[in-house]
Amino acid sequence: MSEAVQPLTTIGHVTPRVDAIARVTGQAKYTNDIKLPGMLYARVLRSPHPHARILRIDTSEASRVPGVQAVITHETAHVVWGAGAVAGGRQYNDAIKKTTLQRRYIFNNPVRCVGDTVAAVAATDRHSAEQALALIRVDYELLPFVLEPEAALATDAPRIWPEGNLCLDVGNSAAPVVSEHGDIAAGFAAADQVFAQRYDTGFVHNAQLEPRCALAHWQGQTLTLYTPSQGIANCRHDMARDLGLEDHQVRVVCHYMGGGFGNKNQNQDADLIAATLSRHTNAPVMLEYTRRDDWLGMHGRWPTVQQYKVGVTNDGTVTAIQLIGYSGMGPYRKNAGGISGLELYACPNRYRSLTPVYTNRTTSGNFRAPSEPHGVYGIESMMDDIAYKLGMDPVAFTLKNMLRPTEEQPFTNYSLDACIAMGVDQFDWQARRKVIPGSDAGPLKRGAGFSFMMFRAALGMSSAIVQVDARQRYTLFVGVTDVGPGAKTTMGMIAAEALGVPLSHVAVVSGDTDRCPYSVGESGSRTTIMTGMAVVEAVQDLQQQIAAHGMPTGNDVLVASATPAPTTDGKMRQCFAAHFVEAEVDTRLGTTRITKYVAIHESGRIINPQTARDQIRGAVLQGIGQALHEDLLYDPASGQPLTTGYYRARHLTHLDVLTIEVHFLEVDDGYGPFGAKTIGESGIILAPAAVANAIFNATGKRMTSLPITRDKILGAMG
Amino acid sequence: MCDKPVASSSSKEGNPQAKPHREVLEGPGLTPDAAAAAMTAPSRTAIRLTVNGVSHHVEVEDRWTLVELLRDQLDLTGTKIGCDRSECGSCTVLMDGQPVYACSQLAVWADGADVQTVEGLAHNGRLSPLQQAFIDHNAPQCGFCTPGQLMTATALLNTVPRPDAAQVQQALVGNLCRCSNYNAIVEAVVAAGVQQGGAA
Repeated sequence: MSEAVQPLTTIGHVTPRVDAIARVTGQAKYTNDIKLPGMLYARVLRSPHPHARILRIDTSEASRVPGVQAVITHETAHVVWGAGAVAGGRQYNDAIKKTTLQRRYIFNNPVRCVGDTVAAVAATDRHSAEQALALIRVDYELLPFVLEPEAALATDAPRIWPEGNLCLDVGNSAAPVVSEHGDIAAGFAAADQVFAQRYDTGFVHNAQLEPRCALAHWQGQTLTLYTPSQGIANCRHDMARDLGLEDHQVRVVCHYMGGGFGNKNQNQDADLIAATLSRHTNAPVMLEYTRRDDWLGMHGRWPTVQQYKVGVTNDGTVTAIQLIGYSGMGPYRKNAGGISGLELYACPNRYRSLTPVYTNRTTSGNFRAPSEPHGVYGIESMMDDIAYKLGMDPVAFTLKNMLRPTEEQPFTNYSLDACIAMGVDQFDWQARRKVIPGSDAGPLKRGAGFSFMMFRAALGMSSAIVQVDARQRYTLFVGVTDVGPGAKTTMGMIAAEALGVPLSHVAVVSGDTDRCPYSVGESGSRTTIMTGMAVVEAVQDLQQQIAAHGMPTGNDVLVASATPAPTTDGKMRQCFAAHFVEAEVDTRLGTTRITKYVAIHESGRIINPQTARDQIRGAVLQGIGQALHEDLLYDPASGQPLTTGYYRARHLTHLDVLTIEVHFLEVDDGYGPFGAKTIGESGIILAPAAVANAIFNATGKRMTSLPITRDKILGAMG
Repeated sequence: MCDKPVASSSSKEGNPQAKPHREVLEGPGLTPDAAAAAMTAPSRTAIRLTVNGVSHHVEVEDRWTLVELLRDQLDLTGTKIGCDRSECGSCTVLMDGQPVYACSQLAVWADGADVQTVEGLAHNGRLSPLQQAFIDHNAPQCGFCTPGQLMTATALLNTVPRPDAAQVQQALVGNLCRCSNYNAIVEAVVAAGVQQGGAA
């Protein structure tokens, strides 16, 4: 049963990060700040062609550049990057890596997109490495290429893989991923009206400020890898698998990292290339990606095409939802390619067909809530449109149709009605919404949009170790890295609360697989709830030891560990949110300005109110960027990417943002550490949908393509 | 659909059965002279500069940027390289009091300059009011853009002691934050101004 939160001592209070001073004085050591004696610098050569077979590579001249220690290519380095072609890491499935037909190597031939890796050089300094890259001579046989998912499925389309362009599934068969609930035909038969619309969404690069780098250092048969990671244990496991080692032969270290938003979950090819060069040179190797390398060699959110068909009765009850979706995965299927959103509706008749497709664009992969923001944009644009066509308020339409707990599917608690009610009030929805969309008389038109969601907060396995010495100093060992949300601080706060001591009495050791136990990784918004539960249970064990033996004396230390795998007793555990946006569109220029943004979230108990608020504010602003600006455009004639950088992809700057209003409804559902749920990804999910709906309400024009750039608005205004 | 080989002869475009087109890829603008240059030692220049109040007399390669000099030679790694091409502002330092992108200044251009980096903001272990405000307002998320934000904001506060939010946004427009923690950064700078502006 859910209940109001009871005040706690440490948790729930604004708490500066435990490493705050290092972050503002330049003392925080990121991967690229580390120097080892004799360290070499490495650079990667990338394909300038969207699809080509390498006929010959001549590295002889490059090898003669003074300072060059090694040049490696597909002819000399044959490492399979397991996480590069089917989502890797312990949390996924190692068996797939062994059986997949479509392996991705650290250097591939043929190269399948502009930016595919061709060669790497290690030299005594980075300029010599760059000069050597320019002297590698490559003969390419140019192959035809295809950029768009639907075109790639045509029978005469250029084949990116011998098996065709429909991505193979884990069983190596090529078929759309179909999920079906109820009876879709009966659902459409029961409808008074059926609406259909196609939506599409662009590629959004994760674009973390820290470019990819990796420092690899072999000592005998043991590899130490310093790398920016969102999961040091998963990265270690991936490295061991790809290099044919045992997990314990690899040490992964990451104390600070400059963002990732999902593109640093597993090991990356940079890690494997650095390790290979280090092996070849018998020296530590620092591989640095340039910004363009990062843009083309990492990944971003997959572009999608979403064809919806929705049946409703005249009273506004949804009777059937069908989605035929396509996701452009680039030439390698690094992640699933999901399009979520249908499951937000109670409608029993749902059909979804998802087709992940290979294209000769750069690789797609996980970006903060990998399947949600684009899918929620599609489905909630669709539903918003239907509400207005039926003459209904979209909020009333949602309250009529959104998923609620049932006897068959109970929730640990349910807050969507409360979130929506609070948002309607805080935002003044009735006053800001135009009952007739586009009804402002002048060229500046304002309107209001709304979207809602729930997002997984299920529990799972992770580990923690806590110890106390005779001076009553507590040390917490957790294999987390702080990717921005403040995991070190959050873990320390949970331990301090559970121990009943101030946070200053708890030292947190993290970011090193040789010193810390397994942690689930900073992906899927799981660290706080999963590793946090392990901290709680390890502390309980320690307290039992103290009760049995007393506090340690002399040189004694009490140590406790826990690896719980808690469940939610068959109940769905979700966090909830509703976002309300006011947008002003200048119909002469096509520009959109967000003038008010209210985000209501129920994420259980809030551990640290300040960092929690800023997770939502930052995620919302990322979502606004996705809604209005960001895309990786390609020249269709040449297959060349055109917007590989912050300037051209038009990322939000200080001048583009407004203050995001965030409200948390705090609830303790009795699960998770002190009732905490997920936060990190949830904030980005609703912005594209809410912004698009606000633009519709302002202009009366339904924008069916993300990002909603000026040209699209001007085109719609006619 | 325009799925054509980039450089094929026109009659063969789009035909996978066409005779392979072959080209030799060379680096952008690489001339025989440049190839020869790669084989010879880079030229070096001796410069003097002051960094965080400490004077340095160093010999730099002419191709080094200021951020390379700071990070690689002087071990001041607080200054970050985010894009290395004047887009993101992670490498911002103060050069004779003005914020500059250290990725886009050659080290030799810093001859005679007075440079301040993030490591120079605290004095005798005491944080500047701006640094403290960054902590109090949770301005760093991942923290990678933080040194650059701090340096541009320091320059702003030196000239506008009590900026309002709009002035801060205007001044910091060249410092990107992909965590998009812009609200907290602006709140921190405004708060620091209020605190130290009273004395100004």
